[in-house]
Amino acid sequence: MCGILAVLGCSDDSQAKRVRVLELSRRLKHRGPDWSGLYQHGDNYLAHQRLAIIDPASGDQPLFNEDETVVVTVNGEIYNHEELRKSLTLTGHKFRTGSDCDVIAHLYEEHGEDFVDMLDGMFSFVLLDTRNNTYIAARDAIGITSLYIGWGLDGSVWISSELKGLNDDCEHFEVFPPGHLYSSKTGGFKRWYNPRWFAETIPSTPYDPLVLRRAFENAVIKRLMTDVPFGVLLSGGLDSSLVASITARYLAGTKAAKQWGAQLHSFCVGLEGSPDLKAAREVADYLGTVHHEFHFTVQDGIDAIEDVIYHIETYDVTTIRASTPMFLMSRKIKSLGVKMVISGEGSDEIFGGYLYFHKAPNKEEFHEETCRKIKALHQYDCLRANKSTSAWGLEARVPFLDKEFINVAMSIDPEAKMINMDEKRIEKWILRRAFDDEEHPYLPKHILYRQKEQFSDGVGYSWIDGLKAHAELHVTDRMMLHAGNIFPHNTPVTKEAYYYRMIFERFFPQNSAKLTVPGGASIACSTAKAIEWDASWSNNLDPSGRAALGVHNAAYKKNTGPVGSVKLAPNIIDNVPRMMDISASELVIQG
Amino acid sequence: MCGILAVFGCVDCSQAKRARILELSSRLRHRGPDWSGLHSEEDCYLAHQRLAIVDPASGDQPLYNEDKSIIVTVNGEIYNHKALREQLKSHKFNTGSDCEVIAHLYEEYGEDFVHMLDGMFSFVLLDTRNKSYIAARDAIGITPLYIGWGLDGSVWFASEMKALSDDCEQFMAFLPGHIYSSKNGGMRRWYNPPWWSELVPSTPYDPLVLRHAFEKAVVKRLMTDVPFGVLLSGGLDSSLVAAVASRHLIDSEAYCQWGSQLHTFCIGLKGSPDLVAAREVADYLGTRHHEFYFTVQEGIDALEEVIYHIETYDVTTIRASTPMFLMSRKIKSLGVKMVLSGEGSDEIFGGYLYFHKAPNKEEFHEETCRKIKALHLYDCLRANKSTSAWGLEARVPFLDKEFINVAMSIDPKWKMIDRDNGRIEKWVLRNAFDDDEKPYLPKHILYRQKEQFSDGVGYSWIDGLRDHANKQVTDSMLANANFVYPENTPATKEAYYYRKIFEKFFPKNAARLTVPGGPSVACSTAKAVEWDASWSKNLDPSGRAALGVHAAAYEDTK
Repeated sequence: MCGILAVLGCSDDSQAKRVRVLELSRRLKHRGPDWSGLYQHGDNYLAHQRLAIIDPASGDQPLFNEDETVVVTVNGEIYNHEELRKSLTLTGHKFRTGSDCDVIAHLYEEHGEDFVDMLDGMFSFVLLDTRNNTYIAARDAIGITSLYIGWGLDGSVWISSELKGLNDDCEHFEVFPPGHLYSSKTGGFKRWYNPRWFAETIPSTPYDPLVLRRAFENAVIKRLMTDVPFGVLLSGGLDSSLVASITARYLAGTKAAKQWGAQLHSFCVGLEGSPDLKAAREVADYLGTVHHEFHFTVQDGIDAIEDVIYHIETYDVTTIRASTPMFLMSRKIKSLGVKMVISGEGSDEIFGGYLYFHKAPNKEEFHEETCRKIKALHQYDCLRANKSTSAWGLEARVPFLDKEFINVAMSIDPEAKMINMDEKRIEKWILRRAFDDEEHPYLPKHILYRQKEQFSDGVGYSWIDGLKAHAELHVTDRMMLHAGNIFPHNTPVTKEAYYYRMIFERFFPQNSAKLTVPGGASIACSTAKAIEWDASWSNNLDPSGRAALGVHNAAYKKNTGPVGSVKLAPNIIDNVPRMMDISASELVIQG
Repeated sequence: MCGILAVFGCVDCSQAKRARILELSSRLRHRGPDWSGLHSEEDCYLAHQRLAIVDPASGDQPLYNEDKSIIVTVNGEIYNHKALREQLKSHKFNTGSDCEVIAHLYEEYGEDFVHMLDGMFSFVLLDTRNKSYIAARDAIGITPLYIGWGLDGSVWFASEMKALSDDCEQFMAFLPGHIYSSKNGGMRRWYNPPWWSELVPSTPYDPLVLRHAFEKAVVKRLMTDVPFGVLLSGGLDSSLVAAVASRHLIDSEAYCQWGSQLHTFCIGLKGSPDLVAAREVADYLGTRHHEFYFTVQEGIDALEEVIYHIETYDVTTIRASTPMFLMSRKIKSLGVKMVLSGEGSDEIFGGYLYFHKAPNKEEFHEETCRKIKALHLYDCLRANKSTSAWGLEARVPFLDKEFINVAMSIDPKWKMIDRDNGRIEKWVLRNAFDDDEKPYLPKHILYRQKEQFSDGVGYSWIDGLRDHANKQVTDSMLANANFVYPENTPATKEAYYYRKIFEKFFPKNAARLTVPGGPSVACSTAKAVEWDASWSKNLDPSGRAALGVHAAAYEDTK
């Protein structure tokens, strides 16, 4: 990933303004530690912090067309850039760098504003046409890369990869909607991403396991494009295990393998002895990857919470719980010299993998809920995956969110996705079935068909209990009593939520900031709409309540009683003197 | 390098305090991007940000002795850690980290072990058995360290000023070669080499002794578990480092892990003298050479960040730090974590051009001693903080304790510049590596006079800085400078410009006192300004034309 910041039409071309833009751009330095660039054209500034993945030697940004009249600052990866280059070369374009993002300036020259749909990848970019002083900005289909837009009192428009790049200087700011294009000519947004599934009408294509398999394999293979060392995040669940299996299978022929060796590196994080560590180890052994296990302590995680919230820019409880281990792991991965990882986000949304989908009343509701979940991904798992890794200059790629793959997966008659315990179809059955190959097995059957932990439980049950207990110590009942008055918008209903909210407000005090975070009722990651599926749910709104659903056997057994664990935890994290028992860092790498 | 922060005896041990220490420690994260740790023990906190160079897998800090009663947070490299481990046979080690010996040495010898460490280091050690602590800094001050005092009676130690300046009422640079002990609440010098007294030594010059001492200094710095390289400007010092490193690489541990081809790095404006000179040396040595270019605008855009990182307003240091800062980012992005660098040679051998005017060997020698003692405020500070800004570690073989002892025991008459006998500056060093059979460097490189004071990156760099400052600082600002900045009053617009930026980041009086001042010509100490009456009228800190001793610079100014 990279970090981009653009300030457009600010009516100020002084040195002081330049220094300010440089300063704000540096707030995104973690996203692009390798180099930075600032292009200034009158009162327009395009800043860039680069993480060099493709063409590290010459791809510094901003990028230009041939005569330097079109300037682009990009955060992203364009997987079909070689193809696009070929067709652009035919029409006479000359490229200055080997960067995959170089095509954007030339596509604009060739096609005007209507080229975004031709890009296959994840991206956010701002393009300035100095010939007529117009600009456009765009964000990828699903919002895998983060992007915000803001407006200054001086009439300026600001666009930034993260909130922290613009929140102090804008009067108002918002999330840049995924799949959209902003054009200065109209001063408004236009959705460029118009896939069939967007309308939420119920599709009818019959399920074909091989079509789904091929589509996913293609999605993974195109993400092996890299000039630097990479690996896969492996929690041992279905999604990450499939990603690892396919990567291991196709790595041998790639350019990446020639440069960095044909052995795949896989990474897993957890509290010592956690379910994920065990599950991932099993998959890694089966696939023969170079597997790295990272252990963290509850104290390590709690010490990181402020950093995590500053980086991921949300107060959503489930997201913060899940981001923290990912944030810690990313630092360790980066310290090994790895710059890019492939990760399994998006599968649960596309296939209805969350346990509450067990209660979907019919295929229509099931399908509509998956559509809603995909559309909201940019505020949840995409945000988490992108910002937790980018905090340490690590890039996450998400093959499940490949445009083509989504089209295939979302055109399947949802009848096939429905959970049907009588026919032994557990959640995500069609994905499991697609990779159930007797001759060349991708994964052993028991892994392919196992139900895994959800909602951060996998890193260790005491993680969430520890967080709750810590919040309990620092948020009083009286604070909770007035929560509705202090935080009228998205009022925190638990002490944990209150604790996160306090930290968030300290870093991002503006009203616009709190509006970028979603709220509303949810059970176990459902949308508010899906709560209607079961009348009993509305009484038990824990965002990741593992026990609330009654569908996951293992969670029931292990969860001998949340009350018991909560009582234990204060002993661990009570006062400072006792903290030495849990030394601050016990993360070990097992190569 | 790593970043350390320690706080002792603060009244408050709440979660808020812990969060505050974590926040302050994260200001040092650039020094140690790989992992962090915080150990708290009642009202004591030891925080660490780690750059993993030796034993990346298990050397996370803080480090402990066997029963965890002694806790250490260290920034540094202990080159003789294996020999020390041998001596500590009865001790059990938890990690492979070179720094773990410190806890065990303390157990064994109490506070009097610092001189046994060979390397560069700053550390803080807490003995929980009697709640005492010590802090120490290496002999020359290669690693930075600051000490501060809070109004609540707390004592603070930090690798960089930015971690303690906001929370301390008073703070200062921790003196190099010193140890602070809580038992007596004061600093004591542990570093007592023969040259410290500045008495004029009399050992005759032996080229082979000097050569071997330097080779040993380089070889011991090849200890690494991660990819490394050499900063190569093409001048004598960096070229010797590269020549010796590439010759001995094949015998080192690093070779087994990272291959036998040495990586070298150079930065400059396009077409600059350094780039040409370094390329020539790299070609001769057959290194894998990386050239980085920067523009004057990129340098200017980086100034605020540079001053924030290196924590000085000294003009010469800022000019030289900026290219090094930019280069470090590029080097790090290639996956390289450690570089060898040539700092210290000019101080030890009187390599600065003003030494041409040294009136006699006594004055010459005393000036070299003064220069070495001040290194921690200038080139050590620059080399350490410019690289650490991007999680890159710089090692400086010329500042090896043993090597300094050898070099500073030589009768200084040999170091004197003597044009009639063909002895230019640093002749004793050049001659030591003048080997006809197996040449380290071609003669014309070994004996060439190179650019100094950042001129090498391109003459227009300093001119560009001056022009930029002239635009930003008005005449009336400069006219009132002595009222605005009564201490170390900036004498030029450039100095004023840097000072303004420094004050923005570090507004406290204590901060400005950590930066040296006083008259200087071309990097001399104030004392040496007396060597030539004409100098005192022309106090440009890096005035290439002021001296009349460098032929190339003369031609350039015509």
